[in-house]
Formats: sequence, C-alpha cells, structure tokens
Amino acid sequence: MVSAQKGQVRVITGNAVGAYGALLCRPEVVAAYPITPQSEIAEQIAQFVNNGELDAEYVEVEGENSAMNVVLGASVAGARVFTATSSYGLVFMYDALQETSGYRAPVVMVNANRETPGIHAVSSGQQDMVSTRDTGWVQIIVENDQEILDQIIMSYRLAEDNNILLPVMVNYDGFYLSYLAEAVEIPLIEDVDAFLAPLKKQTPRQKLVPGVNIGCGTHGIEMGYVEARYKHCQAMERVKPKVDEIDKAFGDYFGRYYGGQIEEYRTDDADIIILASGSATGTVRTVVDSKREKGIKVGLVKLRLFRPFPAERLIEALQGKKAIGVIDRSVGFGWKYGPICTELRALSREIGTAPILSYIDGLANLDITIPHIERVVDELDTAAKGKPYQEVTWIPMEE
Amino acid sequence: MVIKHKNIFPTESPWSNTDKLLLCLDTGSWRTERPVLDREKCNYCGLCALYCPPQCMRDKGDYYEVDLAYCKGCGICATECPRKAISMVPEGEFADG
Repeated sequence: MVSAQKGQVRVITGNAVGAYGALLCRPEVVAAYPITPQSEIAEQIAQFVNNGELDAEYVEVEGENSAMNVVLGASVAGARVFTATSSYGLVFMYDALQETSGYRAPVVMVNANRETPGIHAVSSGQQDMVSTRDTGWVQIIVENDQEILDQIIMSYRLAEDNNILLPVMVNYDGFYLSYLAEAVEIPLIEDVDAFLAPLKKQTPRQKLVPGVNIGCGTHGIEMGYVEARYKHCQAMERVKPKVDEIDKAFGDYFGRYYGGQIEEYRTDDADIIILASGSATGTVRTVVDSKREKGIKVGLVKLRLFRPFPAERLIEALQGKKAIGVIDRSVGFGWKYGPICTELRALSREIGTAPILSYIDGLANLDITIPHIERVVDELDTAAKGKPYQEVTWIPMEE
Repeated sequence: MVIKHKNIFPTESPWSNTDKLLLCLDTGSWRTERPVLDREKCNYCGLCALYCPPQCMRDKGDYYEVDLAYCKGCGICATECPRKAISMVPEGEFADG
C-alpha cells in the first residue's frame, strides 16, 4: 500500500471532525439524538444527508435508546452504521448497548465524554464512559481533534473485522474537544475507501434476510448464553493486538501513528510514570518536558484503549518503574482509587513494587492544569525515593 | 483450559437457523391454568390471537389452537374473547398437567 494523498487542512471543532469522520466512512444508516456537547455531530450529519454529500438513511429518533436500537437493527441487516451521543444519552441507551455488543453488531459510535446523572452537570468528565464499561463495547479514548477523525476511520476497520465484530465507542472529552477548533487534515474519501477496502475482501458477515428463518441474539439460553459470552470475551482479547496492527497500517498509509492501545512518551529511561488519558495528556507532555529539564526522569503513558484493558502493553511499559501516578477524570464508587487506577492495580503483581498513586482531577470541567501535574510529578518523585506518600488525592479538594 | 463444549452457533455472532434450532425456553411449563376452546362458540374472529402476548395461538383455518409448548396461561385470550369461547382450566385437571 502506497501513501495516501495529502488531505485538506481545515480548522474545525471536535464535533465537526466527528461528523467528517463519519462522512468519510460512508455509513448507510445514521440515527442520533442531539445532546450537549455532541449535538453538532447529529446536526452536521443531517446536513450532509440533506445536501447529498452522504448517501445514508438518517433516522430521526425520539431519544438515544431508539437511536441505538435503530443502528443495531440496521447493522444486523448488514448496513454500516454510525451514531453519536454523550452522558445522559449514553446511559439512556444502556440496555441497547448490551444488546448491540451481544449481537456482535459492528456499530461505531462517538461519545463526547460528559459527567453523568446524580448531580446535574453539563460539563466534561469520563464518568459516562466508566458507567458503561461493562456493556461489552470496545472503548477508545482520544486526545485531540485529529485523533477523533483518525480513530473513527480506524474503528470501522476494527469493528467490522470478521475476527472482531464488536461495537466501538470513540470517546473524547466533551466541551474541551467538542468546541475546540484545531487544524485537522481531512483525508480524501478515496483514500479512506482504500484503507477500509480490506473489509470488503472478507466473507460477508451474516445478516438478516427477509423470508429466511434465521435469528440473532434471541436464543441465548443455557449453553447458548455461555458460548456467546465466551466468544465475546475471546474477541475482546483479540481486539488488543488488532488495535496495534490497525494503528500501524493507518500510520503507514496516512502518516499519523498513535501507538495503538497505549502511547508511550519518554518512558524508556523514566523512573516515574504518569498514566493519563484524553485531552489532559497534552498538558502532561508539557510538564514531562519541563520536569525533564530539571533532571526528573518522568514519562507519560497515554491510555487509548479502556476496554479491553491493555494489560500486556501496560505491564511492558511500567515494569521496573519506581512510582506510577494515575490521573482519573471520573470516580469509582466503592473504591477509593479512580477507575483507571483500580484497573491498573489489578496488574500490580506483574508491574512490580512501584507505589501506585491515584489522582482524581478534572471532574465537571475543572481544568487539569500544569501546576496540578507538576504537583503529581513532585509527589511521585518523593514516593519513588521510598518516602511516605498519599495513596489517593482529589486534587481540587486540596486547593 | 480444555474446551469440551461443541459450538451451538456456527458463526462468531450468536446467529442460528431457526428452522433447525430454536433455542427457546419451553415457557409452557410455567403454566398453572390452560385455555380450553369451545369450538361451538368460536366464530374465528381472531381476537385471541391478536392479544396473545407470546403469540402462541395457531391459526387452524376456521378456529385457533393453543400451542401448549409456549402458552404461559396468562388468560388474556379468555378475557378478550367476546363469545366467552375460551375458559381457563387448572392444570391439575389434566392427565398431562
């Protein structure tokens, strides 16, 4: 495969990027319901369909639960589908999310991360993604507008692979990226076609055919349920190397690599590591550079894949380090650590003896600032030297 | 781990040919009362079939027959029948009940 042609560079918001990402992949059915901070995607795609740029059936639904059920039905009928949501919308489709993954329908959805119900918050946070962790979806977190676009394209290649057949949720920080206009290179649609072409060489996946007595997902009793769950979990394991493989293929063709399951930044000789995700990783990179100038050997591991959890890659990246700090933009009710930190601690034995410090920050649009990250680095540096440390820190509560 | 299980679903997704394999629960075993049709009263209006929640009234051409494998005995057919042609009889009164 040769390289793709240079795309058009435009300065557009994360939401517009989400709509362009979908457009380039030629979905045949789109159903979405507007919700802050994602509404622009639903609106923009409706415009694409209206002005003839996108040849798709756009289904106007009365809510997110219907949106997911519509794209599920269309996907099971063989169509390529797309939807987008956020927060209340995501949890409103909770049962439909599970149906979709249970049917192994390769739906691609964008989720603009926002806080979830309980305390009404129209603000950013990853609580919605965390609340749908166990719905059987592949969940990927991206950092910037360009990555939103590129990850949507990669997600179709992943979801529709016959060895995977799982729905994929592309998460980006709502508000921060939704409304942030950045320079984004929009690839030519024929190059996206070429990148997705391997999917067409596969045996077509099973689909509903009018008049033929076949069923999907409804026969899950007794061993049928166990078998379907086993296959689903095995497919999740296959997602991990596949994400790396697709990332490499994407980079080789389009010239942009994201590291696959995780991205490592200055980790090779690092003693201490910050594990972070989403838009805050840009801030962490800045602090890593400035602290390196002061002689502190700190590195960043950016978590891209949240489900399945990239255990093997994380063990490889974190083994032998002297201290690890995990920044969570959500809370884990019932654990004192943040959700990503709790997951990482399941790998403690393989990682080694490094103290793992949990930081809760950036809830409800509170910025994860440079001073916050500098503080994290200083505390990790102290912990790495064997001195006492605080296991869990809610950074905004101490300010 | 040694897998002894032989796959029920031939595909990666849980698809099945429902002519050959209908993995449905035998919900008829839950029933405590059985709908019994009086064919003298039945005028084949079809309301019982329309209202039946699990859709187990089978169309026999000039009357409807209950598929006892799936009828849960809810009695909605008996309630809805305008000619009172269906009565609910306790399962204990049948030899196979």
